[in-house]
Amino acid sequence: MKKLSLLAALAAAAIAVPLSIGSSHREAPNISLDPAADNTDTYAFTAKDAPGALTVAANWIPGQVAANGPNFFRFDDRAAYYINIDNTGDGRADIRYRYTFKTKVNTSGYQHSVPQVTSLNDPDLKQREFYSVVRETHRRGKLRSSKRIGRRLRAAPSNVGSKTMPDYSRLANQAIRTLPGGVKVFVGQRDEAFFIDLGATFDSINLRVPPGNAGGGKDDFSGQNTNSVVMQIPERLVTKNRRAVSSPGAANAVVGVWASTERRKLEVTNLDFNRGRAPSREPRGRRGRRAPAFAGRRVRRAPAFVQVSRLANPLVNELFSPAAKKDLYNRTQPATDQRRFGKFVLKPELARFINDQFPAVNAPENNRTDLVQGLLQGLPGLNQHKGIKGPPAVDTMKLNLGTPPASGAENRFGVIGGDMAGFPNGRRLGDDIVDIELQLVAGFLKGNKVPLGDGVDQNDKPFLSTFPYLAAPTGGFESNPSDRFEPLHAPVPAGGGPVQQAPGGPLPLP
Amino acid sequence: MTAHRTKPILKLGSIALAFVVVLATLALANRSSNPPSDPPGRQGADLGAPPRNTEEQVKSLQRQIRADPSDARGYAALGDAYLQRTRETGDFAFYTRAERSFREAFRRDPDSAQAIVGEATLALARHDFREGLRQGERALALEPETVRPYAAIVDGQVELGRYRGAARSLQEMVDRRPNLASYSRISYFRELNGDVPGAIEAMRLAVSAGGGTSENVAFVQTLLGDLQLDAGRVSRARRAYGEALTSEPAHLPARAGLARIDVARGNLESAARRLRQVSERLPLPIYLTPLAEIEIVRGNRAQANRDLELVRAQRRLLEAAGTRTDVDLALFEADHGDPRRAVRFARAVFASAPSVRSSDALGWALTRAGNPREGLRHARQALRLGSVDPSFHYHAGMAAKALGQRGTAARELRRTLSLNPSFSPLHARRARRSLADLP
Repeated sequence: MKKLSLLAALAAAAIAVPLSIGSSHREAPNISLDPAADNTDTYAFTAKDAPGALTVAANWIPGQVAANGPNFFRFDDRAAYYINIDNTGDGRADIRYRYTFKTKVNTSGYQHSVPQVTSLNDPDLKQREFYSVVRETHRRGKLRSSKRIGRRLRAAPSNVGSKTMPDYSRLANQAIRTLPGGVKVFVGQRDEAFFIDLGATFDSINLRVPPGNAGGGKDDFSGQNTNSVVMQIPERLVTKNRRAVSSPGAANAVVGVWASTERRKLEVTNLDFNRGRAPSREPRGRRGRRAPAFAGRRVRRAPAFVQVSRLANPLVNELFSPAAKKDLYNRTQPATDQRRFGKFVLKPELARFINDQFPAVNAPENNRTDLVQGLLQGLPGLNQHKGIKGPPAVDTMKLNLGTPPASGAENRFGVIGGDMAGFPNGRRLGDDIVDIELQLVAGFLKGNKVPLGDGVDQNDKPFLSTFPYLAAPTGGFESNPSDRFEPLHAPVPAGGGPVQQAPGGPLPLP
Repeated sequence: MTAHRTKPILKLGSIALAFVVVLATLALANRSSNPPSDPPGRQGADLGAPPRNTEEQVKSLQRQIRADPSDARGYAALGDAYLQRTRETGDFAFYTRAERSFREAFRRDPDSAQAIVGEATLALARHDFREGLRQGERALALEPETVRPYAAIVDGQVELGRYRGAARSLQEMVDRRPNLASYSRISYFRELNGDVPGAIEAMRLAVSAGGGTSENVAFVQTLLGDLQLDAGRVSRARRAYGEALTSEPAHLPARAGLARIDVARGNLESAARRLRQVSERLPLPIYLTPLAEIEIVRGNRAQANRDLELVRAQRRLLEAAGTRTDVDLALFEADHGDPRRAVRFARAVFASAPSVRSSDALGWALTRAGNPREGLRHARQALRLGSVDPSFHYHAGMAAKALGQRGTAARELRRTLSLNPSFSPLHARRARRSLADLP
């Protein structure tokens, strides 16, 4: 037996050595995924039960499978999470809400929670996530004021399961707070609201039931969770003249919204160390801190934080920016989008790809000013800012706060379905982004109306009619991700006939 | 997120097979151009859903490649996933798969920057630092706005001893994207420069930033534990290792970390037990050598010899395969083998990667081979950044003692023991004795 194990060890060594992974150099990971910082979805709409307010929901850490013990999901304590609002249309934030977190872990054990957690202050909840909110005002990109409007607020914990957290919704609702000025906030785990047949869409749009307008798609995000920040802000706190919006035509009606994440900047060479001092306390949540001078030499002034991710219109960076530019998109501001990314929207690779897969679609491939308008400038007379030299093309989620919410049922196609309160005039939770964007790229705004879609029409869970609107997350015990197929139904929008898919397209995925 | 699954890293049954595979691979010398037996897919990052775990990611990429075999990005992403699988399992067969995936990506797109970064990472893992650096720079030239090539560039520069260049690249990397990858590299750079508090600060940021997989988090939590231990904070180190094992219960470096805690607390029996478990799964010199040294201190010379014999067997295989050697093996030969062979190894290592670690190994090998004058010269080179690695100071002190430089020897040996009195059970004892012996 001894001999056998020696032999085994030798054999293993033979594998190890020629491809050595010893300690001889520090093989730090080279990650491409950074879920704690990557923004995944941003929603901005006027809620039916809150007509005088802007409602925003922003998600991070997507696609969470609920049964993920012992590791549960939380925001990065050392990052700063932002909701940004541009009320002048120049692609620079005028109002910013900054969320920073502090997770306290009861050191008696590594467990997240034990039965039964009935309130956020329950000692059975071992891992507690606190956050604070700062409201900043900016003018032309410069910070004008900064005020902490909430501190030591509690985020709703991950839903561990029904034994530990028997009434999760009640527990989570305790995390809804109203801050000074009437700003309502909720932070915590929610059901993933995005719905898409991920497998089909990214398998070269391999539609299960072409052309995708009659159901039959697989909702690959069903049963999965995300971490969300939801806020409802009275209009007067976000418009450029600090007044409520009187009508859709009012000069203050349109605001641009996006979410972003920043992480602490770090100098490779630690200046405190070189001056023989202990490291200064970590600056938390402060901005514009000047880097200290070092040994009499001038050190470049640096912001204390660096933006690592941003997101406004769904899929814009994913579908339009080429791979080589995605990092650049994430560290730049919307104000420079026209210069940096305008050309990729004007001549979208995706249109060429769709034509390749579905020759009958015949999407225009060049000079797509209609897409620039629909996604980056806003639609004239609806959610467009005038600007000085024409409407600026900036990737913000432009919402006309004067547009009344849909009176009856919402149309999942939003504006192209005749429901002016939906995407791309803001984005509601139920807007069918994949179908809308496929149809937009196919040329809807140029009159080429093709009923393309992914066959998934709605979220697996109904949204709430009241704040925080996003559905409660699936519990760990109840976890059963991704088994929902959209039932087949009559084609919506009608017609289109069978769009034939070209066999084996040579183009790479967008 | 494979955290809840604890499994032996290399199952006994599969080892014989793996051995055959390795021999076959060596014999074929990379001539095969067959596609990976199970093909690949989409960039996970694109649509927001992170893979639940790497195994699942591999499967989804394979499905995607089957659907669209022309997808260069799919193959490159699959290669990346295989690299991550190696990290998670310690099974180096995944490197071969990664290599084949990258080659398939190049057949479809010769300028795939993602695949070039993958090849760079692979070259670095195989200690071909020049090639890793070259490939990293090529990827950056192709896509100057991206961040990932910087990781390969920084790692290459650090290992080649080009510290000024590394500092510049690293600053650019973290300015572009502060995350686990860049924070953890800053931590290592600060550590090399002797700034342990600064290294701890950066590693805390890395841990907090997390990553796409629990292995990545466990990896940086373990490094944080190592730093805390080197700073003399044993209970904080213990907590960091414990957290790493919560993230990833099978994480071997964290288990080896617990053994270091045992050594610091004087519990050699438990340390030996833990290291034996670790080295049974992954018999690498970095685990076997300290294990043997603990057995020597405990008086189990026979057991120590068996452990050392394993390392020697590795060295023989390595020589037979004509593969480049590394710092650990040179140090091993210097301490427990043939010092002249150690010098030969260390010179080769130093020629290919003139880092401070290589200087240290070469200096120690020379000292042990009876050439402390040259040995001390290299030991000083190893300390040129101001590193606070106790073994660097120990090697310098012993060289100085052999040269009869009493003052230097006393200073360096005292420094060694004040930095970490339990840096190695065997050498800490020798350092104390040598200090007492000084005339």
